[in-house]
This record gives sequence, C-alpha cells and structure tokens, in this order.
Amino acid sequence: MSPSKSRLIVAGALILSAFDMASAAPAPVPPPFEGVYQPQGLDEVGLWHEDDEGERNLASSSMLIRDENLTAYLKSVLCRAVGDDRCGAVRVYVLREPTFNATMSPNGTLRIFSGLLLRMRNEAELAAVLGHEFGHFERRHGLMRFKKTRSSTDIIAWAEVLAGFSQNSDVRLSYQNLQISVYGNLFRYNRDNEREADLLSLGYLNKSELRPQAASEVWQNIMGELETSASARGLKKPKFDRIAFTASHPPESERASYLAELAEPDGNSRDDGKERYRSALAEWLPVFLEDQIKLNDFGASEYIISRLSESGWTADLWHARGELYRTRGNQRDLVYAAQFYANAIELDPSLAAAYRGLGLSLIKTGEKSKGQAALGRYLELKPDAEDANMIQFLMPKEPTL
Amino acid sequence: MKLKYCWAAAFLLAVVATPAHSQERSAVKQGFELTANSGKRILMFRPAVRVGAQSTGGMFEPNAEWTEQAKQNLQAALEELQSKLGNELIIAPESYGEDAQVVNEHMALFAAVSQAVIEYQFFVGNRLPTKKRDNKNDVFDWSLGETVADLPGADAADYGLFIYNRDAYGATGRKMLQVVAMVGGIAVKSGEHVGYAGLVDLRTGDLLWLNADAEMGGDVRDVDGSKKRAWQLLEDFPGSNIGEE
Repeated sequence: MSPSKSRLIVAGALILSAFDMASAAPAPVPPPFEGVYQPQGLDEVGLWHEDDEGERNLASSSMLIRDENLTAYLKSVLCRAVGDDRCGAVRVYVLREPTFNATMSPNGTLRIFSGLLLRMRNEAELAAVLGHEFGHFERRHGLMRFKKTRSSTDIIAWAEVLAGFSQNSDVRLSYQNLQISVYGNLFRYNRDNEREADLLSLGYLNKSELRPQAASEVWQNIMGELETSASARGLKKPKFDRIAFTASHPPESERASYLAELAEPDGNSRDDGKERYRSALAEWLPVFLEDQIKLNDFGASEYIISRLSESGWTADLWHARGELYRTRGNQRDLVYAAQFYANAIELDPSLAAAYRGLGLSLIKTGEKSKGQAALGRYLELKPDAEDANMIQFLMPKEPTL
Repeated sequence: MKLKYCWAAAFLLAVVATPAHSQERSAVKQGFELTANSGKRILMFRPAVRVGAQSTGGMFEPNAEWTEQAKQNLQAALEELQSKLGNELIIAPESYGEDAQVVNEHMALFAAVSQAVIEYQFFVGNRLPTKKRDNKNDVFDWSLGETVADLPGADAADYGLFIYNRDAYGATGRKMLQVVAMVGGIAVKSGEHVGYAGLVDLRTGDLLWLNADAEMGGDVRDVDGSKKRAWQLLEDFPGSNIGEE
C-alpha cells in the first residue's frame, strides 16, 4: 500500500468529520412522527424478518432481566425522551451484561445492557442514550448500513477479481488503494450515522422536559472512566480526539463537545430526574456493581463507585468497594477492604455479605479471631448461604474429646 | 451502540472463496436402531431456517418470502418422509414463560453440541485425537443431558428432531463475478447451502443421530426441491430405507 496516499485518505476523513457538526446551534426539534411503519422492499422486509426471529429468541433468553417494574420504568424514560407518539411501538429488553451499551435493531427492538444502567446517573443521561438509539431506528440506519456495506463489498469484490487478472504491480497497488478508500468511506459513513443519531437525540431532548446538557456529561463521564481504567493499569492516557481508521463511532471528546453545543441553553435549569432514577435502580444496583467488579477492571470500577458515591455513600456502595479491593486481593488491598466492609456494616448492620467480606479480609491480614467473629455473624444472618459449608471450615474447631 | 449488521458484513467478505471440501457426514449412536414402522413419535422443534441471497461481495441478504416458503415446504416434506418411515412427526407446541426459556436453552445447546461434533469428530482438519479413535471404533457418544425430558411436549414423544438450514443463493451479480473470475482462473464460490439435522432421545438426552452437510442439494424455495432437501437430511436416518428420492 502507498503509505502517503492512505494517510491522505485518513486525514481527509478526519477533516471532513471535524466539520460535520461545526454548526453551534441547538439541535432542531425533530419533524412530526410518521406513525406506524411497515418495512418496505426486499432488503428491509428480509432484515425485519431475521430481526423478528432474533427478538423471539431474545424474549426467551436467559440473559434477560425479567423485572416488569424496571422495564416499565425504562420504557417511561424512553417515552419522556422521544415523546409518547414515538415510543409506543418500541419493545424494551434489559440484558444482564456489564458493558456500556444499548442497541436498537431495525424492527424496533431496544436492548439495554445493565452496564449502561450502572453508568447513567440520572434520567436525562439515560434519555440521551435511548434517544440516540431511537434516532437510528427512526432514520432506519440499519437498512442504510446494510446497503452501504453491500455496495462497498461489491466494489471490492469486482476490483479484487479484475486486479487479479494483472501481474502488473501498479494495478495491484491501485487495487489496494481503492480497498482502503472504500473501507474508509464505509467506516466514515457509519460514524456519520452516529452523529446523525446524536443530533436527533438532542432534538428530542431539547423538546422534552429533561435536561439536554446531560447528553454531553455521559461522554465526559465515559472519558473519566477510560482514563482511570488506563491509569490503574499503568497505561498512557487514552487519546479521546483520535479517530481510528475502523472506528465505529466518533471519538468521545468530539461527541462531548458537539452534544454540549446542540443542547438548548434554556434547558439547563430543567430537572434531570436523579432521585427517580436512583430509586428505580436501587434494587438492582448491588447486582450490577457485583457484575462490574467481576470484570477485573479496577480503575473503571473504582471510578464508577466514586461517581455513585457523590450523592452519598450507602452500605451497598461501601460493600461493593470492599469487594473490589478484596478481589484484587493484595495484602495492602485487604486492609482497605476490611475498612470499607466495616463502613458498610456501620450503615446497615444486617448486611450479611459485608460480614463475610470483612471476615475473609481480616483472616488474610492476620486478624484471625476477629475475622472468625465476623464470619460467625455472617452465618447467623444467613444460615442457608450457598457457601455456608465452606465458611464453616474457617471457623474455630470444636474441641474434640 | 451500533447496529448489528455493519461489522459482521464487512469482515465476512471472503470474496475469493477457498474451494470448499465436499462435506457430508452422518453418525448413529452405537447400538441404536429404529426399525421401520415401529410407530415412534418424533417431536420436531422449530427448525432454524434462513434463506436469502448472496451478494456480489459475499454478504448474506435475508429474504423473508423465501424463508417462509422454505419453512412450509420443509415441514411438509419431512412429515411425508417420516410417515413413509412409519414414524409420527409431532410439531413442538408453542411455549410460554419459563418453558420458552428452557426450549431456547436446549435449542442453543443442541446447536453447540452439533457444532462440536461437526468440528471435532466429523471432518478432516480439526479432529480431536479421542474423537478420531471414536470414529475408528464406530463410537458416537454425545448427550444434551436428561433435562430434555422436561421440554414441553417431550412426555408425549420418544425422540426430538432438530433441524438447521442456511441457504444463500448467489445473486446475479455474484454469478457474473464467478463467471468473470473463472476466465482469470480465480475460484469464486456462488451460493452456500448448509444443513444439519439431529435426533435426540427424549429420555436420556443422548444424541442418537446427526447428519451434517455443508453442500446440500435441493432448492428449498420450491416444493420438489424441498422434498429433495428433506430426503438428503434424512437419508441416513436410523432404520431408514427411504431409497431413491
């Protein structure tokens, strides 16, 4: 490949995308909703048909969180974001999957990952992400991407076969350049779809009763998490303004800045629904935190816990932090872990799992008798715990006669 | 937050396909016999059928109409064949709630086990040494476990039949590409027709029979083609002498 040329193409893509969102006005209110939509044409009917089958499987998947209250709440947030006329046909599914993601497929299936719910801090942030996904659906990006990918791969297939006829190295070279430019174009097209979905999302939010400035904060938060995650692993600070050749989305810092500009300034005083969000998620928070901690990403988990604690430490948060330190498990971590569990117990003396963590941490740091006392309390509070027999091994032996 | 088609398609390109090996294999669990006209009841689970076209660049283009036709045709053809064999084919009932989850998990389990059989026992290239030995000794020992007995409809049947089919018919562009490429001596494969079918004992969960074919014949979009396909899927069915198609 000719390095200068490919660099030129990549640079071109960078410049173009930088100007895409340069207009610094609030996002316009989206046009009236067109109502019930049925797929049209061979490709779209085919895609929806596959999607219907996929949704059928999804509905009976063991990854789903089947909590009617939670699902209804999330649907109500979507409705408040995009409006009641738009949200009606959407089916919301919550997946227990601790990564930051949500997807909307062509037939209107909204998949929300539990990792997204853990990272959102209020309704407005969640509404921004759900609005973005709905934007993909409303503009039928799934179909357009399918067509764009097909035409791109068609061009490459022909070029590859035709270039294969020639032994001439110039021909091979121009084929390779073509391939880079076609793929570059395709990836850029996908990123532009994301920008369009962002624009729509802000259009919905500006019109809604929620605070549109939250959209930008989602990405500031994600950058904070990625940075902390990298620094805990001793890596360099990630470059948030760089677009990789194959990037599926615009870079985080670009999104954070244009989303801030697209938000209606007058909307800044609106409610962001923080309290409602916290209470709706309260029951699931310990579960989502547990899943996050198991990802073994110390920096990111620490960041998430500390952001959540901004509105006050709870027993669940202290306990999660204890688990995070205890599972990393260096001696120095265990000392902290014991302290965090103790904090949790102070706030909620009936939190059985915290006694377990406390006991295990203390035993490892040489405080065996205190540790055994904590484990004893754990077994008292939760006599039928799954690991009761295992914990029993760590308890003082009954003197044998 | 991406829609699901873009990445998969971009990297499934495989424009100049490697020449496919003619791959067909089936196996029966040692000692299993299903004599003709024994009147066994076979529970057929929702067949996984996908029919579409293959674009010039090799992408799968789903086609709803073809898929629905193929499902109907295949079901009719299978029922006809099984009644010829003296077995009764029962279509698995629609399930709800937890039942649906259980069915879903078992469908996935069957797909995973079948893929393991296909990958590690059937075909040259990636066989496991133990499975190679099994092949020599005529051993075919796989199971989904006894939980299959709890599947809805399982109490009224003896065996469960799982069917998987994926057909991609070369689009005009793909065929033209194939012809032009052939002139230059480059092999481009047009179309893809993969199918497998398996029979499971609904008491023990043991896989009794599996037939896998990476290059199936018969055009599932029409009735006669589907008969041929069903015949190919069941040609080595235990106790079968369905004879000529």
